[in-house]
Amino acid sequence: MSIITEEDWYLPSQKYEYLDHTADVQLHAWGDSLKEAFEQCANAMFGYITSIEYVEMKDIFNIEAEGHDLDSLLFHFLDEFLFNFSAEPFFIPRKVEILEFDRENFKIKARGFGETFQIGKHPQGADVKAITYSNMQIHENKDKCEVFVIIDI
Amino acid sequence: MVVRSYNEELQYLEKVNSYCWKIKKGFQPNMRVEGIFYVNDYLEKLMLEELRNSCRPGAVGGFLPGVKQIANVAALPGIVGHSVGLPDIHSGYGFAIGNMAAFDVNDPQSVVSPGGVGFDINCGVRLLRTNLFKKDVLPIKEQLAQGLFDHIPVGVGSKGIIPMTARDLEEALEMGMDWSLREGYIWAEDKEHCEEYGRMLNADPTKVSLRAKKRGLPQLGTLGAGNHYAEIQVVEEIYDKWAASKMGIEEKNQICIMIHSGSRGFGHQVATDALVEMEKAMKRDKIETNDRQLACARIKSEEGQNYLKAMAAAANFAWVNRSSMTFLCRQAFAKQFRMTPDDLDMHVIYDVSHNIAKIEEHMVGNKQKTLLVHRKGSTRAFPPHHPLIPVDYQLTGQPVLIGGTMGTCSYVLTGTEQGMKETFGSTCHGAGRVLSRAKSRRNLDYTEVLKNLEDTGISIRVASPKLVMEEAPESYKNVTDVVNTCHAAGISKKTFKLVPIAVIKG
Repeated sequence: MSIITEEDWYLPSQKYEYLDHTADVQLHAWGDSLKEAFEQCANAMFGYITSIEYVEMKDIFNIEAEGHDLDSLLFHFLDEFLFNFSAEPFFIPRKVEILEFDRENFKIKARGFGETFQIGKHPQGADVKAITYSNMQIHENKDKCEVFVIIDI
Repeated sequence: MVVRSYNEELQYLEKVNSYCWKIKKGFQPNMRVEGIFYVNDYLEKLMLEELRNSCRPGAVGGFLPGVKQIANVAALPGIVGHSVGLPDIHSGYGFAIGNMAAFDVNDPQSVVSPGGVGFDINCGVRLLRTNLFKKDVLPIKEQLAQGLFDHIPVGVGSKGIIPMTARDLEEALEMGMDWSLREGYIWAEDKEHCEEYGRMLNADPTKVSLRAKKRGLPQLGTLGAGNHYAEIQVVEEIYDKWAASKMGIEEKNQICIMIHSGSRGFGHQVATDALVEMEKAMKRDKIETNDRQLACARIKSEEGQNYLKAMAAAANFAWVNRSSMTFLCRQAFAKQFRMTPDDLDMHVIYDVSHNIAKIEEHMVGNKQKTLLVHRKGSTRAFPPHHPLIPVDYQLTGQPVLIGGTMGTCSYVLTGTEQGMKETFGSTCHGAGRVLSRAKSRRNLDYTEVLKNLEDTGISIRVASPKLVMEEAPESYKNVTDVVNTCHAAGISKKTFKLVPIAVIKG
C-alpha cells in the first residue's frame, strides 16, 4: 500500500442513488465520464454495506479488473472490490479512484482509499452477496454517463 | 420479447381451482411445458398486480414479473412436468424466488442453472427443540437473547469464532456435517435429521475457486445479514398432534430455536464463478434461453458437472455453518440454565435446504425418471414412506420448516403424496417479499418497527438497525396466507405453528 498525498483527501460529491427492486437493490450511478460513473458505482455499493462517513482514509488498496466487454468490465471491477472486502484484507474504501481505464482491452486499474472493516467502528449495513448482470445498463452520452447495476442482497 | 396488453396476457392464464393457476404455452416463447402456480385470493391479487404493472406502455428499467419468470424457466431445455411457482413467489435473478423446475438427467439436452439454485446455495432452516416452556424462559428472556447475540457472530463483516484453518475448510467442504461430528460440534443424531444426512457425497473442493475458499474461511459459523436470523420461538398452535409428537413437540408453549442461514460468501462466490463460466458454455453449446440471466449448461457438460460438484461443496459448507451455530445456541442455553444441552433435550427436529438442486427419482407420467430438481426458494416436502427421509419421520412425512418474517410466525409442515405428484415433492419456503428494499427504507421508520416488535413481547438484537426496515413484517407477504395456500392445495400439511419471543439478526 502506498502513501496518501494531499490531493487524495478530496472527497467527490455523491452521484448515486438506490432504486427499487423487490428482492435486491439497484445501484444507479452517474458522472461526467464513464470513469466517474464506474467510480461512483463502487462508492454506491460500499454505501449500502456501511455508513460510509465512518470510514477513514488510512490506506490505499489497488485492484485490477478485466472483462471482454463494458458490462463484464463493470462486473469484474465491482466484484474485485467486493471480494477484497469479503476476504483478506477486508478492505472498505471511503472512495474509489480509477487510474487507468483501457477501453480497447477492457482493463481497469483502480485504487480505493480506506481501511480494514472493523465491527464497532463501522456500522453494519447490508451484506452484498454478489454483483449481477441482471438488467445491467451502461449509458454513455456526451454530457452525462450513467450505469445501473443490481446487487444481490 | 412479446409485447401484449394485460388483457391479452390474461388469455394465457387459466384458473384451475381456487388455489392453482395454469400458465399456457405461448405466454413466453418456446415453452416446452406449462407453468403452474399456487395462490389464494389475496396472493392472486399481488401476483396479477405485478403482471399488470409490467404491461404498462413505455415501462423501462423494471424487472420481469414472477409469472413471466416461471414461463421462461418452462422454456429451458430438458424440463419435465411443470415449471412450478409456490405461493411465496417473487421476482428473482432468472428464476423467480419460489420456483421449482426439474430436468430429466438422461436427456442429453437437459441443463443445470445456478440461477435455479440462487446465490445463497443451501440457504435453509434448522429447528431445535427444548424441554423448556414459555414460563421457564420469560423471566430471563432478555439475558437469553443477549446470550445468543454474544455467542453467534452476526451481520456484514462478522467473522466466525470456531477456529478454522485452510485445511479444516477443505475437509469440511468434503465431509459436511461428518466434519462437525468428528470435531465434536454436533451430536450424531443431528445428522439423521438433516436432508442428505448433512453431507452431499459428490462434493469436490478441487472444483471450487480459491476466491470462494478465501471468502468462505473467515465466515464459517456466522449468521450473515439480510433475511437470516436466529429466533427463540414458542409453540403457539398444534394442528396435528400425532405428527408433532413424533417431532418431540408435546404441548403448546414449548420452546424451540430456529436458525435461518446459508453458505455465506462461499456459496455466493461459487454461484458467481459458475455464472461467468456458463456464459461461455452457453455460447459454445448454442443454448438459447428467453432471458440472459438464465445462464445454464448441459448437465453432462464439464461446466455442468463442475458446478454440481462445487454446489455440493457449498451445500456442505452451509450445513457445517448451521451446525456451528447449533453448537453456539446449545452453549448459550446451557450457560443460562446451568444445565447441559443434553438435559435440555436440545435435539435437531429437522434441517431443510431451500436453495438447492438435487438428483432425485420421480414418476413422470407412469415412468420413473431420474431428475435434477432445482428448488429456489422452495423446500423439499417428501411424503410418508419415502426412502430418503429419516426413520423417525417415515410415518408422518418429511418435516418442512417455513421461517416467517422477523416478528411474525413460523410453521412446521409435513410432505404429502399429492405434493409428490404435483410439484415433485416441493412446497413454499417463507413469506416472500412484497415491498422492495428501497421502498421499505423510504416508507418505514426503524424505531417504530423496533417498538412494534417490543410491544408484541419480542426481545430483539440486531447488528444493523436500519436493515430492520427492509426486513419488517410489512415488507413481506403474510406467511400464514402462504402456508394456508400450500395446505389447502394439498402440497403439504400443517403440523404446528411457532411465534418468536426473541430475535437475533444481522
